[in-house]
Amino acid sequence: MTAHDWWIIAPELAAAGLAALLVIADLALRNKRILAELAVIGLAAPLFFSLNLWFGWYGDTTDPSALFGAITADRFALFFHFLLIGVSAAVILASTKYLERMPGLRGEFLALMLFSMSGMMMLVSAKELVAIYVSLELTALPVAALAAFHRGARSVEAGLKFLVLSAIASALLLYGMVYIYGFTGSTNLEIILQRLNEIPSQPDQPFGSYGVLLGVVLIVAGFAFKMAVVPWQMWVPDVYEGSPTPLAAFLSVASKAAAFAVIIRVLYAAFGSEPLTQDWSGLIAALAAVTMTVGNLLALSQKNIKRLLGYSTVSQAGYMLAGVAAVSANSGSAGFIAGPQGVLYYLMGYAFTNLAVFLSVIAITHRTGNELISGLNGMGRRSPVVAMLLTVGLLSLLGVPPTVGFMSKAFVFSAAVNSGLIWLAVIGVVNTAVSAYYYLRIVRAMYFEEPSSDEPIRADLRALAATGTAAAGVAVFGIGPWFLLKLAEESLTIL
Amino acid sequence: MLEDYFRQYGLLFLFAVIAVTVPVGMLALSYAASFVRIRPTRQTPVKRTAYEGGMPPFSPKPSRFNFRYYYYALLFVVFDVETVFLYPWAVRYGLLSKQFGIFALAAVMLFLAVVTLAYAYAWRKKALEWT
Repeated sequence: MTAHDWWIIAPELAAAGLAALLVIADLALRNKRILAELAVIGLAAPLFFSLNLWFGWYGDTTDPSALFGAITADRFALFFHFLLIGVSAAVILASTKYLERMPGLRGEFLALMLFSMSGMMMLVSAKELVAIYVSLELTALPVAALAAFHRGARSVEAGLKFLVLSAIASALLLYGMVYIYGFTGSTNLEIILQRLNEIPSQPDQPFGSYGVLLGVVLIVAGFAFKMAVVPWQMWVPDVYEGSPTPLAAFLSVASKAAAFAVIIRVLYAAFGSEPLTQDWSGLIAALAAVTMTVGNLLALSQKNIKRLLGYSTVSQAGYMLAGVAAVSANSGSAGFIAGPQGVLYYLMGYAFTNLAVFLSVIAITHRTGNELISGLNGMGRRSPVVAMLLTVGLLSLLGVPPTVGFMSKAFVFSAAVNSGLIWLAVIGVVNTAVSAYYYLRIVRAMYFEEPSSDEPIRADLRALAATGTAAAGVAVFGIGPWFLLKLAEESLTIL
Repeated sequence: MLEDYFRQYGLLFLFAVIAVTVPVGMLALSYAASFVRIRPTRQTPVKRTAYEGGMPPFSPKPSRFNFRYYYYALLFVVFDVETVFLYPWAVRYGLLSKQFGIFALAAVMLFLAVVTLAYAYAWRKKALEWT
């Protein structure tokens, strides 16, 4: 390894080192209350190394590729580094009060979450199939342990379900990778694209060969598990309901963003040439339509708020996939908003939105212990600030202007229309209308239902700061989306 | 090229055939021998007991054993794998250090640090205490 390699993988190493440091601190320190603060402050290290790679302050960072081309620190990876670090910091801040219910296990919770985060950072930087697979496992295994953290029947069920299903998804993914490797003789994404263009393709078969078709379908299936795309969404409601709520927030934002990053990179880097894109665009568009419809319909009848939010994340994944499918809009012309750019903007906005929602839910249910929607009755009076933040988040999930959710949906659907996927945009808009029912039901419960008691609920100040920042992001980037759009555009120069 | 490919699998197939034939053949031979009175079938209580290394069985059913054995098993696996990794490294260290310099040592030291951290964690969390 050269000094250049060290600089490139410094963010991932810093994240993993921070996790190990937290384990040591947990063993050595007597006062475990400061562990969460230590974790948040420590996140400055991976953030600094990522910023360094973006701006090129120290070290030789002109060539972003390292470790024989397996890892890259291009703008695309760095964009997701910032997102992942921000999400982790917010989740940790908001869960400090929640963690006090598990006094003996605070260090483990934080360390496992950061190990998972370092895996995600590796995942978005990986440019080679084996590196992608290994980092995907590093992402999933700590999450399985975290899901079983409460040790109750529900929690253990959540952990076991996640473990078994993610193992099956990994098996599918590996099988697909084997096909691609067998066909092209390389695991490097760029060389795969090169070889696919060289090999004579059969015009009557999709992807030029049934072997490649099978490989792509299996790889998409493996990632679809992480993205919570129908028909691999079964684990989502059960895991969200059973696992600790901070983990559900982490899973719904960070894990999903990392999975979208890697699927965009794989599809655009390894299968990005002209006839291939049309083939997978159809596949992704079909998945998107099914995902948003099924997610919305199943969410309608939910009574538990965590299950409802689980199905809501499924339908949101469907909207984002519409942007991934919008591949023709990506071909250069200045007037269009490119599909992946819409997805990146959507993911950033979704991170703000979903964090605002989940962190408010944590703040309320932590006090009441009631996770039913009826448990939120009258929160507009009992906890006006948190109820307002939750409402902002829900309106953004629904896509009401001027929130960031509206802008994201507008960009993604317009990209779909520009790629000739008008039917998909129509399904998306109809689904948005359907989703108003269950999102607004929560708002109605908070403001128009009688509470069971009038005792006010005070939220922890750190949690309130994290939730407020997320909700502010929802408003600011909804009214002025230019900064995020510019960031997304610059991150996509590699595609 | 393609023939070589199938020849490799032919060997595997042969191996599978032998692996199935030998035990099935033994059972079939034993069954056939009972018809010519070479292998009489006379059941006695001693013959019907579970085989436990030649000793008379101690207890009628599998007894419970302490949960803490699992901790020991897990820790054993950690150190077992550690040895498995260290041995080839130690044998080839001369070659590795010529090619990679100090990094050959640093990589394994990092690995040892991670394993030691796991050990310290188990120790501190009282996984090694019996009571």
